[in-house]
Amino acid sequence: MTTEIAFQIIQDSFSSLYRSGMLEEDMAIEENTVILGAKSPLDSIGFVTFITDLEDRISSATDKEIYLVLTEIHEFNADHQYLTAGTLADYIVHIAER
Amino acid sequence: MEELPIMVITGTSKGIGRGLAEYFINQGYLVVGCSRGSATFAGEGYDHHQLDLRDSAQVQTWIRTIKRKYARIDVLVCNAGVAPADLLLTMTTDEVLDAVLHDNIRGTFLLCREVSKIMMLQQSGRIVTLSSMAVGLHQEGTSAYSASKSAIVELTKILAKELAPLGVTCNVLAPSMIMSDAVEALGDVVIQRALEKLTIKRTISIEEVANVISFFCAPASRCITGQVIHMGLVV
Repeated sequence: MTTEIAFQIIQDSFSSLYRSGMLEEDMAIEENTVILGAKSPLDSIGFVTFITDLEDRISSATDKEIYLVLTEIHEFNADHQYLTAGTLADYIVHIAER
Repeated sequence: MEELPIMVITGTSKGIGRGLAEYFINQGYLVVGCSRGSATFAGEGYDHHQLDLRDSAQVQTWIRTIKRKYARIDVLVCNAGVAPADLLLTMTTDEVLDAVLHDNIRGTFLLCREVSKIMMLQQSGRIVTLSSMAVGLHQEGTSAYSASKSAIVELTKILAKELAPLGVTCNVLAPSMIMSDAVEALGDVVIQRALEKLTIKRTISIEEVANVISFFCAPASRCITGQVIHMGLVV
């Protein structure tokens, strides 16, 4: 999996959340888009739904059982939770290649 | 062909779980059941899986398998659990305490967590957990068991609040005494003594238990959430 594909999966998931009414706007995902933390468009329920949807999409794309474990992300600090689309995309590429 | 609603029931190899599975298959559900051992019955409309609900990896894989196979989960009934023989708190060993808390709370928690994610995505679903008459009776000899079943009530009420915005309801059913192999093994004297403590002093049937679940699952019950229905007992 490439970073571009990982970004596209994140984008598809965000668009799906928008269509289901969990996001107010169909936003374009960029490397610095905040997924988790201050300025994230997702509330806690939205974040869980996003991760679940993302796992589904990555599993389908890779034909592997994929579980996203945020604490596995090197930059992720459980005490100060903050995650950008760029960091998440890198992690997706990493776990898809395991 | 019309798609059948998908109901996941745990602990379907015997007792209430098996009875509910057979009942809801007859009501037109596709029931996905599980137990630690192999299936004790088979038939159209029933899909059995063997797993340990205390193992989060097994639970994750199981729920994902169901999602992949059937695309959705409409109802979850958390029935599986253990009920140890009555023991005064002072006689309850560490092993019994750990086993009861682990089986009853952890199993229900893990399952609710994974199924909730699916229901959040589909923005619909019904979760029914099982408590016990022992909680309402504050029954002597059930400190570990009743503590675990009280925890399930609290877990369900909190989950009900968390999932309410997404159209998912979560409710608790606290059955009174239903005749099963485990209950019959208690003996007539113990059974009679327990029945005397109930408001409605008789055993209940699977159909009566299923009726409460049907009520929770009915489309018109979409605003019923975080509730506990005690059967045969005024609390």
